[in-house]
Amino acid sequence: MAYLELTNVSKNFGSVVAVKDFNLAIEKGQLVSFLGPSGCGKTTTLRMIAGFEIPDAGTIMLDNQDISNVAPNQRGIGMVFQSYALFPNMTILDNVKFGLKMQRKPKQEAHQMAEKVLELVRLKNTAKRYPHQLSGGQQQRVALARALAIQPRVLLLDEPLSALDAEVRVALRGEIRRIQSDLGITTVYVTHDQEEALSISDLVVVMNNGIIDQVGTPQQIYRKPDTRFVATFIGTANEFAGEISDAKHVRCGNLEIVTPNASGFNAGEKVVVLVRPENVEVFAQKPESKTSNVIEGVVDTITFHGAITRLGISIGERVINADVNVAGREMLAYHQKVWVELRPEYCQVMAED
Amino acid sequence: MSTEKKARPSAVQVLILVLFISYMLIPIIATYVFSVATRWDRTILPEGYSLKGYQIAAQNPYFFKTLQNSLVLSLASVVVSLLVVVPTVYWVHARVYAAKPLLDLLMILPFGIPGVVLALALVQVFNFQPIARSPFLLIAATVVFTMPFMYRSVSNNLAAIDITTLTEAAQSLGANTFNVLLRVIIPNIFTGILSGSLLVFATVFAEFTLARLIVGAGFKTFPMLLVEYTRIDGTIAAGLSVISFTIAWIVSLLILWVSSKSLDKSHEHLSAR
Repeated sequence: MAYLELTNVSKNFGSVVAVKDFNLAIEKGQLVSFLGPSGCGKTTTLRMIAGFEIPDAGTIMLDNQDISNVAPNQRGIGMVFQSYALFPNMTILDNVKFGLKMQRKPKQEAHQMAEKVLELVRLKNTAKRYPHQLSGGQQQRVALARALAIQPRVLLLDEPLSALDAEVRVALRGEIRRIQSDLGITTVYVTHDQEEALSISDLVVVMNNGIIDQVGTPQQIYRKPDTRFVATFIGTANEFAGEISDAKHVRCGNLEIVTPNASGFNAGEKVVVLVRPENVEVFAQKPESKTSNVIEGVVDTITFHGAITRLGISIGERVINADVNVAGREMLAYHQKVWVELRPEYCQVMAED
Repeated sequence: MSTEKKARPSAVQVLILVLFISYMLIPIIATYVFSVATRWDRTILPEGYSLKGYQIAAQNPYFFKTLQNSLVLSLASVVVSLLVVVPTVYWVHARVYAAKPLLDLLMILPFGIPGVVLALALVQVFNFQPIARSPFLLIAATVVFTMPFMYRSVSNNLAAIDITTLTEAAQSLGANTFNVLLRVIIPNIFTGILSGSLLVFATVFAEFTLARLIVGAGFKTFPMLLVEYTRIDGTIAAGLSVISFTIAWIVSLLILWVSSKSLDKSHEHLSAR
């Protein structure tokens, strides 16, 4: 049995289905992200684990104990909120000590523990200040320290970085991951930011409309999306709607896409072929190719992203995104005629839903 | 320290300010002066000064009794109001926010019902012992009468903090409802509770209609004594008013002092940076 296990968990708010038949097993020490657009049920699921919402159906087991109906203050689960939720009337040290006080830990022990976790988030020097005297990033680190001080069985983070600047966000997510793996603490992380989820998670749960679309490692989610929603929500994808010709070919209008991924569908079935921009090759001259995945187009937009440059190449009515490196950028100009090739092995085929 | 230059107030602004302050202060100053005046109806300034009014008032056998009654009544109203209103407002904000408009509406009612009507209605409905015409009924009435003051102050404070998330944060750290209220919510709405208490205290201390009609002579309050003297001797009545004002001010200063104390604590840390 997994450490934290949700079985057939459902939750409705009136007639609105927030979470439906949620099944997930989380192993001890894993960092699992719930990823999805707002209203997909990720926060509701997190709040059910925390005990702030009671599931309408299903069970939540933690360390072989059914906690579905246990009060939030009896669960031993630490939580970090988007709005930090530090107690404004208390110093940083008192904020961190709060949970230990509630556990009736001896004063000396509580003090040492609080200092230890403040050191962990590198904020020991702020112990005597009040929350409003700290920056947003610092406040969220204090909130993390406060949740960690009680040595929770599970750590829950509800969009912890959404209120912060881009720079702080990237730095802090690295810090969260470092502390999480150092302590080996089982963590559930809710975010709508795919980059965040992919960069720090052991496992990503992609949710949409209250149900799980896919559970997998960040690599699996990115490279082998199960559904069209996952493919388009994560990263950028070029979509080609068409129908299956045979196990190796998909007919999309006047384009016949060759791909080894079309088996498993019946001929004539309506599908969508997805290709990520980094898997679209761009040539200034017509390439020698064994496949028919070569299309002629015109460079429409050139957007510099640092390490890569993203091209918008118009092909008839539509635009295909392609990423090229510096060398690729230098040989191209606006309105230049180019040829693109969709690499067959990277063409994902999925049912049109 | 601000380095911006502030625009000088215009003559009109100064005039409005002076008029307003005069409007507020002249009656009070006049009352103070009248209470120590010997005679003040033929001259611009009083003809002479003496503390005789106070002396006579203090010699009245009811003087200290009514003062005590009014203090007890005011303090009891504050305590009951705190116990009833604060948890209610908290629950409405935290759990049944949909009920807030209804409560907001209900809290206007005491302003809409004249004290006389409220008092007579209460006397008729609660006409059985031991409540009938008792100080307890009076306390219940003054609590209802002053409830909007407490409700508004506390409600505004609660609206300014994210109590749902703070409550949840405290709960996830193991706090039960009692600890959530005592250690997290109340300290953060303390200024609202203080100003609410102050308003309730001052209003009840000066309240006459409810006290006169509900308990009458059985539980004489300070304003009742004051009204009696307005029929006998204006100087003494002015003296009693001054005492009433002064008590209200002392209570206000006391409360402000206590609240600035708790603010100082955070300022100490500010300067210790």
